[in-house]
Amino acid sequence: MLGSRVLSRSVLWAFLLITAFLMLFPILIAVLGSFKTNLEVTTGATLLPSSWQFQNYAHAWTKANFAQFTWNSIFTSVFVTLGTLLITAMAAYAVDRVDFKGKRFYIVLQSMTLFISIGAVVLKPQFDLMVALNLQTTLWGVIIILISAHATAFFMMIGFFKGIPRELDEAALIDGCNFYSIFWRIILPLLKPALGVVALFTFRGAWNEYILPLVFSMSRPDLQTLPVGLANLRYGFGAASENQYLLAGACISILPMLIVYILANRSFMQVNVGAVKG
Amino acid sequence: MRKTIHAYIFTFPSIFLTLTLGVYPIFWALRYMFFDYQGFGEARFIGLENFARVGRDAQFWASVWNTFVYTGGKLILTLPMSLILAVILNRALRGRQLLRSVYFLPTIFSASVMSIVFYIVFNSYNGIINQFLMKMGLGSLDWLGAKYAMLTVILIAAWGAVGNYMLLFLAGLQNIPDDVYEAASLDGVNPVQRLWYITMPMLGPVMQMIIMLAITTSLKGYESIMVLTEGGPFGKTEVMFLYLYKLFFPLVSDSASVQNIGYGSAVGFTSALIVGLITFIYFKISKKLSNTY
Repeated sequence: MLGSRVLSRSVLWAFLLITAFLMLFPILIAVLGSFKTNLEVTTGATLLPSSWQFQNYAHAWTKANFAQFTWNSIFTSVFVTLGTLLITAMAAYAVDRVDFKGKRFYIVLQSMTLFISIGAVVLKPQFDLMVALNLQTTLWGVIIILISAHATAFFMMIGFFKGIPRELDEAALIDGCNFYSIFWRIILPLLKPALGVVALFTFRGAWNEYILPLVFSMSRPDLQTLPVGLANLRYGFGAASENQYLLAGACISILPMLIVYILANRSFMQVNVGAVKG
Repeated sequence: MRKTIHAYIFTFPSIFLTLTLGVYPIFWALRYMFFDYQGFGEARFIGLENFARVGRDAQFWASVWNTFVYTGGKLILTLPMSLILAVILNRALRGRQLLRSVYFLPTIFSASVMSIVFYIVFNSYNGIINQFLMKMGLGSLDWLGAKYAMLTVILIAAWGAVGNYMLLFLAGLQNIPDDVYEAASLDGVNPVQRLWYITMPMLGPVMQMIIMLAITTSLKGYESIMVLTEGGPFGKTEVMFLYLYKLFFPLVSDSASVQNIGYGSAVGFTSALIVGLITFIYFKISKKLSNTY
C-alpha cells in the first residue's frame, strides 16, 4: 500500500517536472543561445555556451537596429496602455453609473466587436483611414487602431466597478462634487487595482502585437517594433543565418515581459481569468 | 438630464473609435466583396462573381481543411493537458504556485517572437532538436518539411496555449464546493472515478465556455504560422486567415501573389461565416451534452 503510494507520487512529480522542463525549454534555448557564437548555436549541441558572447547584444542593439525597435515598442505600448485605460475607465463609469438612452446599444456594440472577426480584411480600411489623416508615417496610426480595440478591457473594467459602492458618489455629490470631480477624486483612486490589471493586459497585447505594426512598417522600416523587426531579420540572413543575433533580439523582446511577470505574476494570472469572465 | 449629457461625453471617445475603426471596416468589406478591385484604379461592380470564385478556389478550401486539422490537433493536445494540470494543481501540493507560474509563462510572450526561437529549435538543417537527435544517433527529422510541418506548428501552438486554459480550468475548479469531494471520498471513490463522475460534470458550463473559446481562437490564429512557415511548404500549413492575409498584404518572400481587395473581402466574409457556423454548431451540440447531466 505504502509502496504504490510512493510510486504514484513519483509518477506524478515526474510528469509535472517534465512538463515544466518542456515549457521552459524554448526560453532557456533563447537565453543561453543568445550568448553563444553562431557556430555553437548551430552545431554545439551543448546547453551552456563555452564562452559567453556578451557582444551579441551590443551587435543586435546597434548594427541590427534593436535600439530603434525597442524604442518603438516602448512608445507604442505605453501610449496604447494609457489611452485604453482612460477611455475604458470613462466609458465604464458612465455605463455603470448613469442610465442613458442607447446604453444597451453601446454594450451590444462592444460585445459584437468581440465576436465578429473578418481577420486581416479590416487592416486595409483602417490603414487607408490613417493615410487620410496622414498618420501612417508615425506610430500614432498603430496606437490609435490598437486603442480602438478596447472591448475586452472595457468589460474587465466594468466588472471592477461593481465593487465600488454608489453611496460614495452620492455622498460626494452632497459635498459639492459634480460628475467629473467624482470621477477624478473618488472613482479613479478606488479603481487603482482595476487599472493595474487592465494595464497589464493591455500592455502585454500591445508589446506582443505583430500584424498591425507589420502592415504599417512595410513602407516605413523606421516604424518596426520588436516583434516585426525580429521577424523581418529572418529574411536578411539567408540560409547560413546568424542565429545568435536572432536569439539576442528575441531576448531583448522577452526580457521586459519576464521582469514584469516575475514581479507581478499573481496579477498577471488574474488578468487572464478576468478577461474571460469579464 | 444633465447627467445623460455627461454620460454621452464620457462614452464618446469609445463609441467614436469603435464605430470608425471597428464597425466601418466591416461595412467597407461588405461593399467591396461585390467589386473587382486590386487596390488601385477603378473598382468595378461584379455582383456575386467573387463568391463564385471562392467556391472554385481549391487553394482556399485546402486552407479551410488545414484550419480544421490545425484546430482539431491543437484542441486534442491542449484541452486534456490543461485540464489534467489544473486538476493536479488544484490540490494541496508543495510548490504548486511556482508550477502554475511556470506553466503559464509561455502565454505572456509574443507568438511571433517565440516562432523565431522555435525556428532555430526545429529547423531541419541545423536545428537544436535535430542536433540532439543526431548526437544520440537517432538521425534527424524534417520538422518543417511537408510531412511534419503541420504537426510542428500544432505542437508550438499547444505550447503557447496550455497555460492559459489551465488557468481557466483552475478558476472553474475552484467553484466546485469541497463537500462534494468529501462525500465522495467517504463513499470510497478513486481519483479516476472522481475526475470522471464528479469533476467533469460539475465543470460542465465552464468547460463549454472554455472549449468554445479554444475553438474560435484556433480557427482565427495565423500569426505564429506566418512567421514560422509562411503557410509552406507547398501550402501544407496554410490556414484560412493566413490565406486571407496574403490576399491583402502579399508576403515579401512570395513575389507571385498580388493584392486582391475585392476578392479578399469575399474570402473574409466566407471565413467569418465558417467560424460563425462552427461556433453555432458547437453551441447547439454542447448544450445538448450539458443538458444530459
